[in-house]
Amino acid sequence: MKVLVCVKQVPDSECPVKIDNDTGWIRIDDITEFKMNRLDEFAVEEALLIKEAFPDVRIDAITVGPGRSVEVIKRAIGMGADQGIHIITDFEDYQSSLQISNWISEHARDKNYDLILTGTMSEDNMQGQVGTMLAARLGLPCATSVISSVIATDQKSVYVEREIESGNRDTLVLNLPAVLTIQSGINSPRYPSLSNLLRAHRQELQTIRANDLALPTSREDLVQIVYPQKSRAGLVLQGSQEVKAAQLLEILHRRSLL
Amino acid sequence: MESIVVIAEHAAGHIKPVTYELIAFGRKLQRLNSQTLEVIILGSEITHLACKIADISGLDVTAIENPEAASYNGELYSKTLSVHLHDHQPAYVCVAHTSQGLDYAPSLAVELNAACITGIEDVVEIEGCACFARPLYGGKITAHVRANSQTAILTVQAGIFHFKKDDAKTAGTVAIKSVQYKPRQSRTLGIKQIESDTAGLTKARVIVAVGQGIGDKDNLDIIYKLASLFSKSAVAGSRIVCDLNWLAYRCQVGVTGATVSPRLYIACGISGAIQHVIGMRGSEFVVAINRDPTAAIFQVADVCVVEDLFTFVPTFIETCRKVKDNSGGDICQF
Repeated sequence: MKVLVCVKQVPDSECPVKIDNDTGWIRIDDITEFKMNRLDEFAVEEALLIKEAFPDVRIDAITVGPGRSVEVIKRAIGMGADQGIHIITDFEDYQSSLQISNWISEHARDKNYDLILTGTMSEDNMQGQVGTMLAARLGLPCATSVISSVIATDQKSVYVEREIESGNRDTLVLNLPAVLTIQSGINSPRYPSLSNLLRAHRQELQTIRANDLALPTSREDLVQIVYPQKSRAGLVLQGSQEVKAAQLLEILHRRSLL
Repeated sequence: MESIVVIAEHAAGHIKPVTYELIAFGRKLQRLNSQTLEVIILGSEITHLACKIADISGLDVTAIENPEAASYNGELYSKTLSVHLHDHQPAYVCVAHTSQGLDYAPSLAVELNAACITGIEDVVEIEGCACFARPLYGGKITAHVRANSQTAILTVQAGIFHFKKDDAKTAGTVAIKSVQYKPRQSRTLGIKQIESDTAGLTKARVIVAVGQGIGDKDNLDIIYKLASLFSKSAVAGSRIVCDLNWLAYRCQVGVTGATVSPRLYIACGISGAIQHVIGMRGSEFVVAINRDPTAAIFQVADVCVVEDLFTFVPTFIETCRKVKDNSGGDICQF
């Protein structure tokens, strides 16, 4: 069985994000910490659980992104993936999901993957489209927000539960090969092991330059980015911590909340 | 004339409220682009639902009847809608940004060679063009995106656009179209109900909610201490905190958890992604504590405390204790 896991490098969610007025994009140099998209960690773990449950499972981890994003491939291998593929882009700006899914489908088309896993959504672009588009490009069935998956013993189908609103689950069976987009909470992603990390640094990765692939045109334009509008008054407390604490107490008192 | 099409969302014989929100969104878009607006509903035995939408909205409704579509199936939705819409070439197809809408919208976009813009929170006009506002980076940034294709599939965030019934309007027409399509690659088995008891949260007058910023389960003590200052209080968490098993899933606030509206909501170390905000924005008064000044939670807070919760929360508890000692009474009562 061959499994492809799509992973993405994103800024740490606690990193402040500021707009660069010169480029009209975010100040990417100010982002001090990058990590693997959290939902993608669950996708990698799900692949590893399949590898543990079935004989002869091979896991490829793929990412699309600039040079620095090679780190998420190494992390996926560190967790236990077998091979890494890096589609290198030269740009840091807004990427359309169509473009990313087209690039991944170019790689996946003739590789006979039985299962392709992605996170349900990336923390930076928040589109939630790549997995579904990839499935449509490859003509495969797809289930999104997967919170439980069980591969049939004959490896011809997969039973999945999709998380829907209010925590209920939509259940279905997909024929393999298929694409699943993985929801958080489906498993507990493991930490990379030292031996796998060493292997990740030794091992040669397959690299593909995005420019060498037929460049699909994006069907949407980013016009501008702005800071969001506040929906509430948003009094920002000023001063030392003690002053702020006293102010907050006063506010809650006045509103008879404390 | 170019058209805007709304895809109705329904389940178990009921039209979901988000359908009317999509119509409200469609009307706002219509004011910018003066296109026609119509509704499509897909399913089995849906004529009465189509009539209801036509009656309430005054819009023309097409009901695509398929005996195989008794419950939602992504493959069936994507294939059926792409065949139907291929001939119409609408400018915009409005879909709910829900677990269902997001399941088929990107695939429909690929089938129709359309743009796909998801998680839309607003529509704005820039240089005469309709641009769609959607969040980036956990809501810290808003992007304005414009479609540059014949057709664009839009998924619209629930709970933002409000539908107003126009009583003067006469009911729209209902056209019924029968199709036969059976999903080939997947088989839907139905909805599985998951028991979750969030009653404790929905009854609380004060909720102290904690996000990933708490760092570790062992650090929850200060959150419980903070909550204990208030009567009828409860501790809740964002999705991440529950995924990490730091709190039980019944403590989760958000799209996939509880929707709460306490008198006071204190968000500690919560980034404020829209999925969480949807569950708490009905709160009367919101205090947010986060060390990241760009955290999206500050957009929905009445009071913003840009501090590290590990130092601020103990300082606040200490301040309360001092005031209580000085006044000699119990300040911690409503």
